[in-house]
Amino acid sequence: MKLIKTLAAGAILSVVAASASAYDADWKRGRVYYRSVCTSCHAVQPIGTINPSSKTKAEWAAYLKADKHAKGKDTVKQYVSKAYRASIKSGNKAAEKFADTPDQELLDDVAAFLTKGAKDGDSPASCN
Amino acid sequence: MSERIYVFKRFERFWHWSQAALIIFLMLTAFDIHGTYTIFGFEKAVAYHTTAAWTLIGLWVFAIFWHFTTGEWKQYIPTTEKVVAMMKYYLVGIFKHAPHPFRLTTLRKHNPLQRLAYLFILVCVGPLLWITGGLYLFYDKWAAWGLGGLSLEWVATGHTIGAFMMLAFLIAHVYLTTAGHTPTAHIKAMITGWEEVD
Amino acid sequence: MKVALALCCAGWLAASGPVRAEEAKPEAKPVKLTTTADHGKFKQLQKTFDSGPEVTKACLECHTEAAGQIHRTKHWKWEFLNPETKQTLGKKTVINNFCISIASNYASCTSCHVGYGWKDANFDFAKQENVDCLACHDTTGNYKKPPGFAGNPVTKDTEFPPGSGKIIKGIDLAKIAQKVGKSSRDTCGACHFNGGGGDGVKHGDMDSSLAAPTKDIDVHMDAEGLDFTCGTCHKTSSHDVAGSRYTPTAKDDKGVQVRGKAGSGNPATCVACHDNAPHKKEPRLNHHATKIACQTCHIPTYARGGIATKMTWDWSTAGKRDADGKHIVKKDAKGRITYESRKGDFTLAENVKPEYAWFNGNVQYTLLTDKIEKTEQRTQINKMGGSPSDGKSMIWPMKVFRGSQPYDPVNKSLITPHTAGNDDTGFWKNLDWDKAIPVGMQDSGAPYSGKFDFIKTEMSWPITHMVAPKDKALGCVECHARDGRLTGIQGVYLPARDNNRLVDTAGWAIVFLTLLGVIGHGTLRIVTARKH
Repeated sequence: MKLIKTLAAGAILSVVAASASAYDADWKRGRVYYRSVCTSCHAVQPIGTINPSSKTKAEWAAYLKADKHAKGKDTVKQYVSKAYRASIKSGNKAAEKFADTPDQELLDDVAAFLTKGAKDGDSPASCN
Repeated sequence: MSERIYVFKRFERFWHWSQAALIIFLMLTAFDIHGTYTIFGFEKAVAYHTTAAWTLIGLWVFAIFWHFTTGEWKQYIPTTEKVVAMMKYYLVGIFKHAPHPFRLTTLRKHNPLQRLAYLFILVCVGPLLWITGGLYLFYDKWAAWGLGGLSLEWVATGHTIGAFMMLAFLIAHVYLTTAGHTPTAHIKAMITGWEEVD
Repeated sequence: MKVALALCCAGWLAASGPVRAEEAKPEAKPVKLTTTADHGKFKQLQKTFDSGPEVTKACLECHTEAAGQIHRTKHWKWEFLNPETKQTLGKKTVINNFCISIASNYASCTSCHVGYGWKDANFDFAKQENVDCLACHDTTGNYKKPPGFAGNPVTKDTEFPPGSGKIIKGIDLAKIAQKVGKSSRDTCGACHFNGGGGDGVKHGDMDSSLAAPTKDIDVHMDAEGLDFTCGTCHKTSSHDVAGSRYTPTAKDDKGVQVRGKAGSGNPATCVACHDNAPHKKEPRLNHHATKIACQTCHIPTYARGGIATKMTWDWSTAGKRDADGKHIVKKDAKGRITYESRKGDFTLAENVKPEYAWFNGNVQYTLLTDKIEKTEQRTQINKMGGSPSDGKSMIWPMKVFRGSQPYDPVNKSLITPHTAGNDDTGFWKNLDWDKAIPVGMQDSGAPYSGKFDFIKTEMSWPITHMVAPKDKALGCVECHARDGRLTGIQGVYLPARDNNRLVDTAGWAIVFLTLLGVIGHGTLRIVTARKH
């Protein structure tokens, strides 16, 4: 069962990678975006911060594939989009710095950071 | 029968009161900088003290100009005449309601003791404060001006001595304003310009 | 041709009206512009690597001189001859009051050596393939050299220590080698953030919060802003990294280091970029900067990133066991270790105000060959030279690390115990000083009387990282106050801190007497007025 899950996750991740042809995801940019944009908001929301190491690689991949933020109230992609970055960039330096980064690239970056920092990733990571 | 004479002209009164305000404010900020108490805090106290000092310098430029063009500078020429009489009056006569030994006129509006005190402030305390204060303000330029051998400690100590003398003067000065014809006569004169004399 | 035509059209259209401008704007390019070589395309790296030296051999096929350059550096030799004091220093030789010394503990300590296989005193420093390229050039963040493997990465899942049931996961060196790039805060930090055996332990101004810091933690490294790497300041030349803890630049009056400028100053100082008079709005502060190191005002506190740094370490309490004879570990409310049988008692702190001292860059170490006396005063592991009047000193912020560590009361020397190691004499395993000390001292080649005691020591670490944004720099009142930060600093007159006692006493006496005289005089006047 676990094997199937992992295989499925791998397939999903490769799909994510293939969609941005030949883009080499930058986990460090993902790290900055995740910590400065995702965490800065989550820190004050009732749900609290979410460490990348709190989920497995497969769980993160499934989460990104499902694209359901706040239990489906909105999408995950929306929070990585240029439009969202433009809307918060006056108060968020990371959003401002990466204002022109294509959506898919930034999503790949965040995915790379989460995969790397997952519970079973190469270097389990925290929020800060 | 008393008469009224016009002693202090408009500029003179403006000069006096603005100078008084500035000096009191300088004192207030000075001891904040000195570490005696904290009102504004060191950083702001330094900024205010500096601004007030420059304002006072500006005021003095006008005052000096005024004193020379009007000849009023002569009011500060010291005299020994009646000095002893004045001292006797303050020590004894004032309590017996003896007549004031000095009669104020527009040409001699400071009594002999006043003249001496103001001159002392003018030639001793003033220069001490201005010179040490100026050096203090520009201490980062000492080396460039060839004054690298100066010690900030000595300059600061000199400035502090000047401040204490000024504070002591201020206390005595404020008190002696009540020693006129009536307790408020001098103060009224400095506000309206007119003083009642016997 | 068609493309060119299209571009021309686009340009023309764009020029023709603002409505079209959006369409003509070129898309941000997905390619990395930081390198001209994609190491993933190199045949030499498309294979399985079973060990570090195999990777290095592949690197050296193209980068033929790289190993030779590394061989000349402190990072490789762990040895440094201080030209001023003539002391032989370097990690190989110095003793500190953290884990004390690397002698006899090589396999553990050398996980931070830029080499492979330094497991004892017989390491071959001349071998080119012993150089570890990946330690500094990894970009994946996955390259790891666990302690206990003498600087070797683990390529296959391995149980360590043997029989413990703990598995260290093997890493794929080919994947890492194919992605090599410039050094980064992560690569430097892999060792330098963890000095003293853990995150933030040793330096206080360097910990993992600097891997991707906010502007408040470090204004230059700010991952969302300037994003400096360590190498931006510590400008390397032929693999030799600028900046030194053995010969620090305490006072840099050489001004900005522009290209073409003669002389070889330290490019890692503040002045090397900011010049000697950087305060444009407040020139008075430039004068401050002739006596006060930039760091003093611009690093208000260290350990600001949420990671505590160790402040004290008492080895003398190490070695206790619980009722079952097992090692003890105690933690504080925040989950930070405050006692370990292996190491003794610790105290930790975050957001620490530094101590301050005149410092001229001269550092004299207490080495194994130096005689020490147990007195009331702490023995200084590193004496920081400096005085207000030598013309070379500045007031510097320091982390002063205090501890108690073993020494030989007969030979009057420090001791280098054998701590790490999965053997019978390693203190961290068997908690027995009588076994650990002779082994360590023998490895150091130093005599040991057979008796040991504990001596109080202190070690100073000039603070220079975690530079705050300018609005967070120290305000005047931090020092210009009776009990300010520079309370103990001699040789400067500090308004608000200092005063002339005599002048103040005499001054207030005169003011008071004047007031008294005035009140007396006035009272008498009122009294006599009533009589009349």
